[in-house]
Amino acid sequence: MNTDRDIIRRSRDSPAEFAALYDRHASVIYRYAARRAGDFVADDVTSETFLVAFECLDSFDEAREDARPWLFGIATNLLRRHHRAEARLLKAMARSAPREAGADSTEGVAAQVDAAAATAKLAKRLKAMPAIDRDTLLLYAWADLSYEGIADAMGVPVGTVRSRLSRARRILRTGLAPATSDELEETDNDHGRLAAAPRNA
Amino acid sequence: MDDLQLLREMRSDVGTPPPATLARGRNALLRKIDPGSGAMPDDGSRRRRVVTRRFTLAAAAALVLVGGTVAADVLIPASKGGASAEAAEVLNKAAAATIKTSDPVVKPGQYLKVDTKAVYGGSLVNSSGKQIFWKSTQNGQLYIPADLSAEWVWNREERNPVEFQDEESKADILAMYAQQKAERTPNGEFNPQAGGVLRAKGGAFLGHEPQVLIGTSLKDAASLPRDPQKLLDLIYERTKGAGKTPELEAFVTISDGLRMGAVPADLRAAMYKAAALIPGVVMADKQATVDGRKGIAIGMPLPGGGSRDDIIIDPSTGLVIGERDILLKDYPGAPAGTVQSWTAIKTSVVDSAP
Repeated sequence: MNTDRDIIRRSRDSPAEFAALYDRHASVIYRYAARRAGDFVADDVTSETFLVAFECLDSFDEAREDARPWLFGIATNLLRRHHRAEARLLKAMARSAPREAGADSTEGVAAQVDAAAATAKLAKRLKAMPAIDRDTLLLYAWADLSYEGIADAMGVPVGTVRSRLSRARRILRTGLAPATSDELEETDNDHGRLAAAPRNA
Repeated sequence: MDDLQLLREMRSDVGTPPPATLARGRNALLRKIDPGSGAMPDDGSRRRRVVTRRFTLAAAAALVLVGGTVAADVLIPASKGGASAEAAEVLNKAAAATIKTSDPVVKPGQYLKVDTKAVYGGSLVNSSGKQIFWKSTQNGQLYIPADLSAEWVWNREERNPVEFQDEESKADILAMYAQQKAERTPNGEFNPQAGGVLRAKGGAFLGHEPQVLIGTSLKDAASLPRDPQKLLDLIYERTKGAGKTPELEAFVTISDGLRMGAVPADLRAAMYKAAALIPGVVMADKQATVDGRKGIAIGMPLPGGGSRDDIIIDPSTGLVIGERDILLKDYPGAPAGTVQSWTAIKTSVVDSAP
């Protein structure tokens, strides 16, 4: 067998083995980061994720075979530094005009316009949601992690994941964010806001 | 559809990272692991920041499809047991031809030359919010020595934009490329936009050995199973969790392996036969043309059915003569059938390398 855990174990003795983990998962980490904050950010976040992972090999839970939750957790932390890029992207999507929808033969124009409008609404609500809920929701919907995987990624119990997800989905559905919501802002704050790591929140 | 489904569709058009980006990240990691490994320093992060000021890349750098908000079709594999019957026949014949047609003999001192012509589609959103499409070309020649552990030479020509959607964006794109090429890399290191000649013992360009399959380097190629099912099982195991679907990832892994000119013929044949066992693989085009040569295109549609990745095989020799990425649906500015990017591959034996 050649699981992620095997690779990580081997890389304790022969560090070069760790590159195999990069080859295996760099693409999905990149794609997740690019969906959240665009390509330029994804470039940095992907590279940095594996550097951090390599430095903190001991933080990998050896009870797990799959390293993806661990890697997505690191990437999610790193993405916090780029909240401005993410906010900009969501803002642009919230404004996005229906013409962006593709000329798909299986759907009528009206349906496309509806879909575009719905996406714009979604982007707006995503932006308004507390960061911790957004992280949870996107680890679920975009990183395809299971509840258990998200719990590992964020360092919280599965029950907490469940309640955060249901809260996030409620906001997505109704647009009603809690009053304390730390809405993503586009203010120039790229270097200052790493503190609120999801696992401690 | 419900909100969660809609959320899943949102920005699902973001593609996989360009190979250069992945190589750069891998390089940075290798330098961290072993600072003396000789991996080349980052050539990009500084340069890219400069570009950011003018352009905000809002979607994948290459192969971007607009319209990710539209519901994805459910794709049903042609048959559960493996590739479609036609595709399986083509692949198995290619395997037989590969074995029958002996590989070119590379004598001591000679090189196997793998000549690659590539055209990529690019897209970005400029600072005024307009989506721009263009195509760029990058050609290269890889010289693989008879003794695989000797020095390999890779001449990478400069990357140039070649097709533009309009005059206005043309000026922007040309300026961006000129800026990237002129950018001086620290200590005169390799700038992929500007091109140049790379040399590496054993083909370990950018600090890592050439791989025939993920997890197996070229020099260990003999250790891979030649039984197609066993080979495919191994590929599934090693690519577990990667890619959009296990089948697509297996197909792409095999394409990656076939692309390299140095894979032994018996392994190439096993790769064809393994591809014939992947559900969803179809015979896409009996008369596919790539850079003026004709072959048979074997392809795998992407989930959602928006586009398809093809490899193009010369049925008489069993050689892969090219690859392409073709649209299956109409997108704004790009109707179904548009080839978004393609690569043509020619191999020959030569007496010297640059």
